[in-house]
Amino acid sequence: MARNKYDVDEILEDKFDINQLKRLAGYIAPYKKQMAAVLFLMLSASALGMLIPRFFMAVMDVCIPQKDMRAIWTYAGLTILIALYTCISLRIKITLMTRVGQSVIHNIRYDIFVHLQELPFSYYDERPHGKIQVRVVNYVNSLSDLLSNGIINTITDLCNLFFIMFFMLSINVRLTLVCLCGLPMLTTVVVFLKRRQRRAWQIQSNKQSNLNAYIAESINGIRVTQSFVREEENSGIFNRLSGGYREAWMRAVKFNFVMFPSVDIISAITTSFIYVLGIAWMSQAGSGITVGVLIAFTAYIGRFWQPINTLASFYNSVLTAISYLERIFETIDEPVLVKDKADAYEMPQIHGKVEFKDVTFSYEDGIEILKKINFTVKQGQTAAIVGPTGAGKTTIVNLLSRFYNVDSGEVLIDGINIEDVTIKSLRRQMGVMMQDSFIFSGTIMDNIRYGNDEVSDEMVIRAAKTVCAHDFIMEMENGYYTQVNERGSRLSAGQRQLISFARALLSDPRILILDEATSSIDTETEILLQQGLARLLEGRTSFIIAHRLSTIKNADFIMYVDHGGIREIGSHEELLEKKGDYYNLYMSQYDFLKN
Amino acid sequence: MTPVKWVYSFLKKYKMKMAAGILMTTGIAALTIVSPYISGIIVDDVIGNGITDLLPVMIACLLSVTLVKGILRYSSQVMFETCSQGVLYNMRDTVYRKLLQEDFNFYNKNRTGDLMSRQTGDMDAIRHFIAYVIYAVYENVLLLSFALLMIFTVNVKLALCMLVVLPFTALTTYKQSSKVRPAFQLIRQQFSSLNTFVQENISGNRVVKAFAREDYEIEKFNRENDAYRDAELNASATWKKYIPVFEFLSNILTVVLMVYGGYMVIQGEITLGNLVTVNGYLWMLTMPLRMAGWWINDIHRFTTSAEKIYNTYKQEPEVMMPGKPVEHKRMDGDVEFRNVCYHAEDADIISDISFKVKQGQTVGIIGSTGSGKSTIMNLLCRFYDVTSGEVLVDGINVKDLDLYELRDNIGMAMQDVFLFSDTIEGNIAYGRPDCSFEQVKKAAKMADANLFIQEMPDGYDTIVGERGVGLSGGQKQRISLARALLKDPAILILDDTTSAVDMETESYIQQQLKNIQRECTIFIIAYRISSIKDADLILVMDKGRIVEQGTHEELSKAGGYYEAAFRHQYGDFRENVTEA
Repeated sequence: MARNKYDVDEILEDKFDINQLKRLAGYIAPYKKQMAAVLFLMLSASALGMLIPRFFMAVMDVCIPQKDMRAIWTYAGLTILIALYTCISLRIKITLMTRVGQSVIHNIRYDIFVHLQELPFSYYDERPHGKIQVRVVNYVNSLSDLLSNGIINTITDLCNLFFIMFFMLSINVRLTLVCLCGLPMLTTVVVFLKRRQRRAWQIQSNKQSNLNAYIAESINGIRVTQSFVREEENSGIFNRLSGGYREAWMRAVKFNFVMFPSVDIISAITTSFIYVLGIAWMSQAGSGITVGVLIAFTAYIGRFWQPINTLASFYNSVLTAISYLERIFETIDEPVLVKDKADAYEMPQIHGKVEFKDVTFSYEDGIEILKKINFTVKQGQTAAIVGPTGAGKTTIVNLLSRFYNVDSGEVLIDGINIEDVTIKSLRRQMGVMMQDSFIFSGTIMDNIRYGNDEVSDEMVIRAAKTVCAHDFIMEMENGYYTQVNERGSRLSAGQRQLISFARALLSDPRILILDEATSSIDTETEILLQQGLARLLEGRTSFIIAHRLSTIKNADFIMYVDHGGIREIGSHEELLEKKGDYYNLYMSQYDFLKN
Repeated sequence: MTPVKWVYSFLKKYKMKMAAGILMTTGIAALTIVSPYISGIIVDDVIGNGITDLLPVMIACLLSVTLVKGILRYSSQVMFETCSQGVLYNMRDTVYRKLLQEDFNFYNKNRTGDLMSRQTGDMDAIRHFIAYVIYAVYENVLLLSFALLMIFTVNVKLALCMLVVLPFTALTTYKQSSKVRPAFQLIRQQFSSLNTFVQENISGNRVVKAFAREDYEIEKFNRENDAYRDAELNASATWKKYIPVFEFLSNILTVVLMVYGGYMVIQGEITLGNLVTVNGYLWMLTMPLRMAGWWINDIHRFTTSAEKIYNTYKQEPEVMMPGKPVEHKRMDGDVEFRNVCYHAEDADIISDISFKVKQGQTVGIIGSTGSGKSTIMNLLCRFYDVTSGEVLVDGINVKDLDLYELRDNIGMAMQDVFLFSDTIEGNIAYGRPDCSFEQVKKAAKMADANLFIQEMPDGYDTIVGERGVGLSGGQKQRISLARALLKDPAILILDDTTSAVDMETESYIQQQLKNIQRECTIFIIAYRISSIKDADLILVMDKGRIVEQGTHEELSKAGGYYEAAFRHQYGDFRENVTEA
């Protein structure tokens, strides 16, 4: 499996894909109205804002020479009105644009999260979890600035740019053309930087992802690290990743820093040209350029370049954002391999007959884990699966819950191919207790209730009693309301198993799968547990994987699995009779008594 | 120490660079003031008065000023960014090292997602502050002071009058500061909470799918996602009241100048030229004023995040390195517990544990779930410290030993196997990164892992997922055992290490353990009698106490817990053997 680890960069897209921006636009589209309102406010405010210098000029040129205080007060009053208008529209802009920006972020994050819920185990198995997390949380957040301020400012400034160009053209066409000569220069700079800049930001996001992955792993694996005294070594790795991130950041940000001085210098160069050519053309008859025209024109040059500065900064944020966007959309586009068929229907109430017909399965092409497996479990039977580690025991039960699709063959429950029904309706009726008992942070009550919200506290307690967890839970300081955290470190492995056992029971499954469910539970508890279970399992089909053979002896039949196939199948007695693999396995547990 | 001072202590290292940056910023401010003069001269003298001779010089000035300013701008930004990245790098390192030192109690209290937020999202607010806010504020304060100075030289009365906006500015600043702080704290808190939720959802993805609880997770996610958005909206609802006020005040400056300036000209107190000059400086006053509200936000974002990081950092582990550790690098492996009690969360986890083991002996520990077996081992490794009593290794109290030397002498294969997303070789060599491949292979063979590893597509170079996903329980346990064996420890702890491997493999592993060259003390925690039967000493635990101890021969007839367990697991042995 091509797995990714913390110090391996993810593959980068080479081409700048405009579709990513289009998709982003798709998220913004529902907020068109707000955007339009804000745009109107900002444009009107900026147009009105342009009046203030004119008022001032009027005061100096007309009112003061005429000593007309009243007129001055009038202009002042108008300015205050404009200021108020600007103030209010700014306030509305903040309200609306934060809402738009945060809603878009909220919606993108929702989409990525919902999609993640549909992705199969293999997606999670193939890469460090920190790398998935950074996409959902950090990358999505990185878009906030672009969305809240970037877009509106850019549109406002684009409009300003057109206003100013219009004014400039109305004054003199030739000079305007000279001014526009700056744009190809700027384009050259942008084109020259683009590839490198984009690459640099992609690398940066990659390094950030690596660092995040390592932090997550370090925290989760802290016990191992401490007990293996790996602190120094890990700090070294951490600093290498952290340094890599710093370097990538510096490299990328330097490209952004080039932008402003470039705009400034190009603006100075074009301005110089205008001065030189303007003065030269003044002496030409018929050029239409006079001292007044030139002075008026120069007043606009500065204003022409100001919005371009904003555009440049917007361009920078877009390039940065794209490197995050492509990662986000990549996750959203990750194909869902195990999904409901178009005509999938709800799995009816399961009775419990399970059949595997010629089931072949491989995680990777060419390496078959299961080869043409066949077996039938009748309703209410308990089937045990034994065999050496890595023989494919867990794979068999995983196929039953359709965590993976079979390569060929069929898995049937009550005669229905499980690929024909909806995944949810199937899994809801199965209780799976896995090798890793994951505990969510929250109360013990919440953890046991995980499978089913609607159950009452009494039912939770009853389930806990069935699995012999009640006593130790009651001994904790807040009983069922004791907070445990996600590493479940306050609980012993056996206690965690009991809690996830109770969780599996509480979902009232029609088919129960116990995958090493009791490996860390002591014998005494196990006996009690089995008694409780026997009552509970009546009428339900169950699968048990265990290495402690005392656990499985009473199963209706036992399958001995090895090398991807079922080698032996039959009851405990039958298999002992047969003196095959199971017999050897069974006897081996007594070897130690023989010496 | 306050959080801000703590951040400053990192910044001190970059004093020179910061000073250089500040110097360059001063230069930029000066050039910013100069360049309008040049344009002014070109417009007034060259174009207006037709002194075309001046043009080449002035254009040269204009171009060189812009060029120098551009270079200074670029270099100063790089300079500040370098400092900020340097501070961040060192801060991440410091916080990371501290995290590595924290004891289990710390990790029981703090959620992974929260700790991650400290290292990522919160760090970003600090980066922004050092890389941008500092110089932006400084540059604008320079321009502001310069403009004020110039206006004062023109006319004191006019200048004072323009300062009218000052009290309003101060008031708004004060109000905004006090209101946005809690709002930003809420954002950080919700961010952390969202991060934690997502992290758990990803880690627990198998359980979510097994229980088909995707909808429930999405619903919970919606709450977190909404809460985060609402926190952001709440913050903007707070600061949107103030930022426009600054904008308004900046326009009021123009009004003041218009009215009072105009009045003064009419009264003859200043000339029209004076008014034009002052108007030329006006933007240097209004621009900082417009930006002030945003900077106040930035500053509070910074302090809130600094506070969050510092509060995590300053939590001291309870398990501390002794001031003067006893020098004892290579331990023999004698272990003694003397009346050891451990009390946590208002409950006695273990009480009055006493036993003694000599180098090379094997101790088996058996007992009910949650009876404190793993706790004994955690106390031996000093993951927790005893509440009372003493744990001695080679006759020395573990609290007096160098913490790292102690742990380096102990090889532990834990109940809950954690593998890193690394190659299998890297995982086995985790405790001895410098060892040779042969050593890795040897350890894998001892743990009966070599065969299945070699069957994997990339053998020892196969990358395993985090927590070892993709491997079966038994495979993970064997890798974890190989990892512990490779340390060649004085004390080997196998905490339920063979629960998921079959009997044949287990007995093979037990044979191998007998062949360990270094005479090492072995602790085996197990539920299967077969795992511990040969131990020199077997401890039977119940509710945190040792209820029985002895050898298999003694205990299997003692009529207690051990015998009952033995009977249950192997009671039918005789009949089966006779059947066979």
